[in-house]
Amino acid sequence: MKLRFLTLSAIAMMTGLFACKMADNKQSGTSSDAVNIVAEGTPTVAELTAAPKVPAPVGTRAAKKLIVNLETTEIEGVIDDTIPYTFWTFNGTVPGSFIRVREGDEVTLNLKNAANSVLPHNIDLHAVTGPGGGAEATTAAPGQEASFTFKAINPGLFVYHCAAPPVPMHIGNGMYGLILVEPAGGLKPVDKEYYIMQGDFYTKASTVKKGLLEFNNDKAVAENPDYVLFNGKKGSLLGNNMIEAKVGETVRLFVGNGGPNMTSSFHVIGEIFDNVYIEGGSTVSHNIQTTMIPAGGSAIVEFKCDVPGEYVLVDHSLSRAFNKGCIGKLKVTGDANPKVFKKGGAEKQKSAY
Amino acid sequence: MKKYFGLVFIALLIACTKEQVTKQVMNDKIPQQLPDTLRKLNVNTKMAYIPGGEYKPFYSSDTGLVTVHPFLMDERPITNSEFLAFVKANPQWQRSKIKQIYADSSYLRTWLSDTTFAADALPDAPVCNVSWYAANAFAQSVNKRLPTLDEWEFVAMADRTSKDARKKPEYSDAIIDLYLQKDRQFQPVAKSTPNYWGVYNMFDLIWEWTEDFNSVLTTGESRGGKYEDKSLFCAGSATTSTDLLNYAAFMRFSLRSSVKAHYTIANLGFRCARDTMIVKK
Amino acid sequence: MRIIAFLLVLLGSITACKEKSAEPGEMPTLPSSSIFNLSSQWENQNGDTLHLTDLQGKTLVVVMIYSSCKTACPILIAKMKQIESKFDRKDIDKISMVLVSIDPETDTPEHLKAFAAKNGMDGNQWIFLRSDENATREFANVLAMKYKKISPIDFSHSNIISVFKPNGQLVKQEEGEINIDNVVTTVNKIVKGNS
Repeated sequence: MKLRFLTLSAIAMMTGLFACKMADNKQSGTSSDAVNIVAEGTPTVAELTAAPKVPAPVGTRAAKKLIVNLETTEIEGVIDDTIPYTFWTFNGTVPGSFIRVREGDEVTLNLKNAANSVLPHNIDLHAVTGPGGGAEATTAAPGQEASFTFKAINPGLFVYHCAAPPVPMHIGNGMYGLILVEPAGGLKPVDKEYYIMQGDFYTKASTVKKGLLEFNNDKAVAENPDYVLFNGKKGSLLGNNMIEAKVGETVRLFVGNGGPNMTSSFHVIGEIFDNVYIEGGSTVSHNIQTTMIPAGGSAIVEFKCDVPGEYVLVDHSLSRAFNKGCIGKLKVTGDANPKVFKKGGAEKQKSAY
Repeated sequence: MKKYFGLVFIALLIACTKEQVTKQVMNDKIPQQLPDTLRKLNVNTKMAYIPGGEYKPFYSSDTGLVTVHPFLMDERPITNSEFLAFVKANPQWQRSKIKQIYADSSYLRTWLSDTTFAADALPDAPVCNVSWYAANAFAQSVNKRLPTLDEWEFVAMADRTSKDARKKPEYSDAIIDLYLQKDRQFQPVAKSTPNYWGVYNMFDLIWEWTEDFNSVLTTGESRGGKYEDKSLFCAGSATTSTDLLNYAAFMRFSLRSSVKAHYTIANLGFRCARDTMIVKK
Repeated sequence: MRIIAFLLVLLGSITACKEKSAEPGEMPTLPSSSIFNLSSQWENQNGDTLHLTDLQGKTLVVVMIYSSCKTACPILIAKMKQIESKFDRKDIDKISMVLVSIDPETDTPEHLKAFAAKNGMDGNQWIFLRSDENATREFANVLAMKYKKISPIDFSHSNIISVFKPNGQLVKQEEGEINIDNVVTTVNKIVKGNS
């Protein structure tokens, strides 16, 4: 309901200004249209990817029936160099698998909770119109499976997360990811697409296992994270893990913010976003330096790479970037482009005298 | 629940003078007739005396204090070897014979056969992958019952040195630390430190079935005000959590609300309890 | 130790034999998921003692209530009556409308009988049951029905109407906002299919 209202009001407000932009993207606009789209055929299993990769675009395909298989796990992973942390995940990664569907698709979500999990888990997808976003229907005790089916009626980039109690703890341990609902006809093709998700982490030393870090409830309540990270690990987008593009290519970043608490001021140092799908919805804004991504929200940003170099991705609340780990890099290779950028001052004018 | 108000009164009086009291079981109340389908089992797990009292449960805001009557509780969870004895005496509860209505397909999943548990499983590790029905039947076969949720939580308030440690910040922290560790269920019972009541393993090994686990009306997703919806639950306002920072209790309620009685889970076992009429001096 | 184990095995095998020999006289084999596998003992509004297997052979529409409930149960009772009124009268002897008390202490047979009369639920198709606490809890667990005693006279509970096939298999549950047409359709499918 809320989503529908937001979409409708956004559309009402933007009529005229963005009408042509929206037509560009062939977005059908209201969710009520999508309700009547028929998803044909037998269900197929959806391609899922771990960050920073994303599944293939939907392109011009018709709406169909999809099966999304997710497994919730509680695993020891590395949060910082060699420091282990007990993560809770969807499909073993933080963020969880990227899900990519088309408006009008009928999606059956199977959630399996690993047999060796300690706790029950579930999934609330913000792309779902229905009670709890599916959370109640998918609550699965350790070793159990639960399913529900929904129709993706609102296009956009949506967060999903575990909503089992205590919710901040499940999210704080990494139980979030993104689901993209592409409009009919698909998003405009670009050269490179990447999946980035920010999250804040609150830690303390485990009293049971030496060296292991665990969720710290007090720090979470105080909203004082030790780490603010892209893709669940310090350096996940640095060194060999930098995302890449070539000069002349257009890059689209699907950026989410799992929270549980921090709002992100997403910025790429040295780039200007040509297009920002504000809050992951249908309104496209242009020429943006920094875009705000709420906890439990997202943004799609697009820009063309004109100049080679390493571009730093940050939460521009900069202590998080430089002290708490929220930093990554995009490496752009190719020929220099002095028309756009070059070192050194302007050539000295020869004196007329 | 039967009412022994007089006894509670006495027990409370006695509780005031407690510490090194001698416990003498006068007359254990046998919970009920053994159903004719069950064979009595001679397993005598040592029980701890719990005088009961009033306590404010985690889940309630407006029902106020709940009275827990005196009862006996197994000092530790039921083990693999004890459960083996049970299925040998009661073959209808063996893995290949159990009715679907009583257990899902992972019932005693790690066992090698109907009467052999896994080779690497310790005989004195807690039995897991048992359904509520199986736990309930075991309890009946030893003339006990499962503890009620309130009884279990009453005992769970204690740490080593006090009856109610919930106000101590380290109490909840320590439990959550334990909850985050996997594969704890493979360790033997009664090896860690007992709590104030002399009860072992309330937190460090497994989740445990309670008799009325299905009395938790909050849903597994916990955010909705579903329980305020009169069309779904009558008199349903009984279930809002007061103690939201007691994450450990919150996690137990999360688990309980996510299970059904036929579920069998790798880290979910049980212990038994019994009504009692007890005199403490 | 070994001797005990041996004896237990012996006992086990004896019971196993006993079970097998006991079976042939019974009704046709029940599905493993049948509610009639429950061995609990019940009392109806006439004070007769019965087992759930005694309900075998008819399609069951089941609800759990307590008679002193002032809030949701009257709605559930009304829904049960509406459901019952929608069945063909010629099918009514193939259907049992079963109301199981979650308050066995208060809901004595006399009490239930009076309650049935007061609500005009006195045909043979109306069956009111009570048992002890353990059996009630077990029965609720089969329905995945949650309840809790919140005071000596009040329970909070989830509202579920369930349909069981004549062999005791659960086929349909309506929870919360109960759609009575779904229940009626399910029952009719079974009843008409069998006739």
